[in-house]
Amino acid sequence: MRFLAVALAVARKDVRCELRGRELLPALVQFVVLALVIANFAFDVDLVQGPRLSPGILWLVLVFAGLVAFGRAFAGEKDSGSLEAVLLTPAGATAVFAGKTIAAAAMLVACEAVLLPAMAVFLGSPISPLVVATVLLATIGMAALGCLFAALAAQTRARELLLPVLALPIWVPFVVVGGRAVQLAMAGQSPSALPLASQPLLVLADFDILFLVVACLAARFVLDD
Amino acid sequence: MSTAAVRAVSLVQRFGPHVALGPLDLELPAGARLAVLGGNGAGKTTLLRMLATAARPASGRLEVLGLDAVRQRDRLRARLGHLGHQVGLYPALTALENLEFFAELHGLGRPAAADALALVRLDARAGARAERLSRGQQQRLALARALLHRPELLVLDEPDASLDAEGRALLAGLFAGRTVVMATHDTALAREVCDRALLLRAGRAAGDPWTLRVVGAEG
Amino acid sequence: MTENRTLYALTLGATAAMLLAALLIFFYAPQDALEGPVQRIFYLHVGSAVAAFGSFALVLAGGVAFLWRDSIRGDRLARASALVGLVFTTNTFVMGMIWAKPIWNWDPSQTWDARLTSTAALWVIYAGYLLVRRFATPGRPAMRLAAVVGIVGFVDVPIVYFSVEWWRTLHPGPVLIAPGGPQLPPEMLVTALVTTLAVGLLASVMIAVRYRIEARRDEVEDRAVAAQLQPSGTRAS
Repeated sequence: MRFLAVALAVARKDVRCELRGRELLPALVQFVVLALVIANFAFDVDLVQGPRLSPGILWLVLVFAGLVAFGRAFAGEKDSGSLEAVLLTPAGATAVFAGKTIAAAAMLVACEAVLLPAMAVFLGSPISPLVVATVLLATIGMAALGCLFAALAAQTRARELLLPVLALPIWVPFVVVGGRAVQLAMAGQSPSALPLASQPLLVLADFDILFLVVACLAARFVLDD
Repeated sequence: MSTAAVRAVSLVQRFGPHVALGPLDLELPAGARLAVLGGNGAGKTTLLRMLATAARPASGRLEVLGLDAVRQRDRLRARLGHLGHQVGLYPALTALENLEFFAELHGLGRPAAADALALVRLDARAGARAERLSRGQQQRLALARALLHRPELLVLDEPDASLDAEGRALLAGLFAGRTVVMATHDTALAREVCDRALLLRAGRAAGDPWTLRVVGAEG
Repeated sequence: MTENRTLYALTLGATAAMLLAALLIFFYAPQDALEGPVQRIFYLHVGSAVAAFGSFALVLAGGVAFLWRDSIRGDRLARASALVGLVFTTNTFVMGMIWAKPIWNWDPSQTWDARLTSTAALWVIYAGYLLVRRFATPGRPAMRLAAVVGIVGFVDVPIVYFSVEWWRTLHPGPVLIAPGGPQLPPEMLVTALVTTLAVGLLASVMIAVRYRIEARRDEVEDRAVAAQLQPSGTRAS
């Protein structure tokens, strides 16, 4: 399938550029560590308070790391003209968008691989497989929407202003549901006690599917005229 | 060939209330090599971007290679090559890797990338990162990218601005058998490689395209 | 002009409807036993919410019409509706807060409510819609990008409604469209319906007026463009 081939080619290219350029990942990791240190002092976290504050700190850091990661996905390419060169091939805007979203999500996941253990160590947060699953599921949907709006903002005069304004409210469902799920998991409660319709992981998965489809359909109109 | 390479009727481009180009009528037979001349802000880039399907006209009809430039642009993009103001390369990738990536987007295999590199005489620099190439070499690499898929139509926006001497020498050879629309400030270059010219002034054509005498034919 | 007459008639109708609604709210609907007189905000609060959602539905429709059919009129409708929708969302929000304060002794700094967050998010999305229009390249790019924001943003609308059912919240459950049928005494129900219709009519008038203004603006711009396209028209280079 051409679509898949193109998307993977674009994703591979982005990851390769990042591994060689090494600009984004170190910046993200630095940001995460710094944010945790600040949170530690700002919230006066001790090992007792840690688990209680952890869900909030987790989502706060994730959201801002996401803004950085997704913002970079399109801004650089738009400025250098490579985005246009890519779109002028028969590759198709949707496939290109999918590829960039995969790569950006991968960056954020790499960042989470640092964040979650760091939280366990510094804040005493109980990081269980459930927490990891929740974060991963939320990342998918957030990446789809974040990249869509990053591509959009990159074409305006005020991209630093517009990306947070657009992305943060749209991410609210993920933060609400994900936050609740992480809260439950960290408090040791099993979410399977809830009625099926309220199962946070299922709800997140639903959101993911919905927003992935919407973002891919919309990508064509954002990237191409 | 009976189909005109480019047919524009009452072509207009606007940005809000400002008309950047138009109304413009243009007809180019296949194999023509048109130099688009004019000062800054005359509308050269605006015209070229519409021809390359990078921008959509505000009104009017534009047919390129017999296809509608808006409705059939996916098919069109496989048959034309564009070189814009920016090189649009990936600095961290090597020259060859850059071309291989774009070859993949076109659905071509790796050999196409190596061939294009050879075409612009950059094979010696295949393993060098794009950021380490000189400006002239980067421009040549971008030219190679425009030629990867053997397009019938080449749209070049001021290639002379950063092309080195070696690159300029290649142009005539690369244009052979193709329709070319080239924006340039350099009238000497235009006379060298093009067979007709169009002058734009404030977004309008100052007269019809005139034929250029090919240098060398005078003896 | 006939279109002026329709608009005047509509405006008169909206004014009359709002006056009728006011009468019903203050004199017809019974006072709530638990909440007292402040409960009467409920009618306008709900009416504004419905008007806001309806406006955003029009933003969606306009955006879809533009993307699918190149309809400038659709984009104009979206432009007009987004502004009006934002006004009514502000209304809903403020009224909700005014209502909540005495009822639950509600302090926003202490309790978090799902619906409050979702409505705030909705407000920011449509403020973002207007910002995108402002900061994108004027013409097609602005229309196309804004249409995407309007369409994707509209997905937040059902989330606002369902958030009440999903999460622990202080907001009263749905009383109008509840499984067992409406849970209000008939007088309150009538008042609520009439008020909602009246506010809806008001919103429609506001959108219609806004649409006209945008149409005039577009006209002026088109005339400027046409002048430049004349053979002797002057152009700034």
